[in-house]
Amino acid sequence: MEYKKEYKCSVLSREMLLGDTAYIELNCPDIARTARPGQFVNVSCSRFLKRPFGIASVDRDSGSFFIGVKSIGSGTGEIITLDRGDEVDVLGPLGNGFDLDSFGSYILVSGGTGVFPVNFAAQYLESSGKNFTVVQGFGDASQVVLNRPSYVLTTDSGDCGIKGTAIAGLDTLDKCVCGSSSCIICVGPVPMMKAVSGWALNHSMKCYVSMEQRMACGVGICLCCIVKVKADNKDGFVNVRCCKDGPVFDSSEVIW
Amino acid sequence: MSSVSVKVGSVPLKSPLILASGTCNFGRELAGYYDLSILGGMSSKGLTVNPRAGNSGVRVAEADSGMLNSVGLQNPGVDYFIEHDLDFMKSTGAAVIVNVAGHCFDDYLEMCRKLDKYSSLIDVLEINLSCPNVKAGCMTIGSDPEAVKHLVSKLRKATGLPLWVKLTPNVTDIRATALAAQEGGADAVVLINTLLGMKIDIRTRRPVLNNNTGGYSGPAVKPVAVRMVSECYQVLDIPIVGCGGISCADDVIEFMIAGSSAVEIGTANLIHPTCPVGITEDLVRYSEENNISLSELTGSLKLW
Repeated sequence: MEYKKEYKCSVLSREMLLGDTAYIELNCPDIARTARPGQFVNVSCSRFLKRPFGIASVDRDSGSFFIGVKSIGSGTGEIITLDRGDEVDVLGPLGNGFDLDSFGSYILVSGGTGVFPVNFAAQYLESSGKNFTVVQGFGDASQVVLNRPSYVLTTDSGDCGIKGTAIAGLDTLDKCVCGSSSCIICVGPVPMMKAVSGWALNHSMKCYVSMEQRMACGVGICLCCIVKVKADNKDGFVNVRCCKDGPVFDSSEVIW
Repeated sequence: MSSVSVKVGSVPLKSPLILASGTCNFGRELAGYYDLSILGGMSSKGLTVNPRAGNSGVRVAEADSGMLNSVGLQNPGVDYFIEHDLDFMKSTGAAVIVNVAGHCFDDYLEMCRKLDKYSSLIDVLEINLSCPNVKAGCMTIGSDPEAVKHLVSKLRKATGLPLWVKLTPNVTDIRATALAAQEGGADAVVLINTLLGMKIDIRTRRPVLNNNTGGYSGPAVKPVAVRMVSECYQVLDIPIVGCGGISCADDVIEFMIAGSSAVEIGTANLIHPTCPVGITEDLVRYSEENNISLSELTGSLKLW
């Protein structure tokens, strides 16, 4: 059998999308070939633990993949300054991806750094010829990344796109894309995913979310990154591993 | 004669490397990364009589050269383990070490009696008297020499399996609890579990971990562990399994010189899941280049 590996990957490019957010291309043909949308990688920095990032895109021809990194601490702060040629240790692809094949059409909802894994999902759906609609929700115009003119854009401040949350964006969608043959994929801050999960329930639609937790190993051996999901036991829940059992979960099973 | 095989009392191990409890689950996840049969052994996730959901909220906090965890012994319970995981652990070819945790003496007794019936599949019972993340049992028992001796002597009568007692460093003098384990009839002691620590988010003035405190592990704790192994080696007659921040072959050798017959690798698995492969290769090379059997290193420390 072929064993999974830990890779040394060199940085092929880095583009600053925002003042604190970088789009980084890493060289790794294996990951570019095998990664599925919704999966993530663990990337080393000089701190003790690796940092997990959803895969934002793959380029199978050049054997590279992309991650979006927002600086939220010393580790990510270091990673957004990586230069072309720098090397990092990478573990991946990790976790379970989205099911982007079983439904007739998809609504992709994202905000914050959730736009990155959702970008990979859009790339996949585009290449497989599926119908999909993208809704993006941000705080204000200064946070908008990876937006395209065809996307439904919302901002809390209303300084660009529709004023309101991603829910306001979903409410503008044509009824025909919101049927039970359509599935919602949502990645963003917890309040967004929780609200979108409720919206999906009201529209009798299946909704999958990608959860984020503080992680250590990323491969399911430490049990540090738990997500509470409903279970038929005396507690009514079970703690499952975000990294190994997720990060993608059926939103109706998550205890928010 | 060069060799990396070792013995911990009556238990032969093909290598001194054992995956520490709580850092390999039951082996399935790591089996995708390398051939687990290269390992000396694998210690299961800490098990309890009934399933445990573990602690809520944030369970990990990064610290300098290490990390704090407060998982809180999340596990499926011993019955589920026997039914679903024990055969798999045995099939890996690594020695099967089952980590036994409990709230009270009766829990430990019940678990040991139950596991004793599967002695053909189990090589060692590792008695967890050191988890710092639960409110009762474990470290509470493991900090009191009288309680350690009393419990181990009860367990000794309950099973013929080798008993290794994993001790906490959160005591004034670990020699007292190690000697108590020996007097109770332990076959070996495992030194050390994590050091109790705390990390505070200075913006919120709250602990990062929802359990407030957690167990500190990783390279930062290695000098503490080496010191404790050395201290205990000087007073014990039973073997020691060293544990604490080991991440390379030099660390293994250092622990063996201090007095360890074998070692457990914990946090390093979480950073580099394949690290035992490289460490094993390096140990084989060391053994060959120095024409030494690794077991000759045990306790070879020359104190000033």
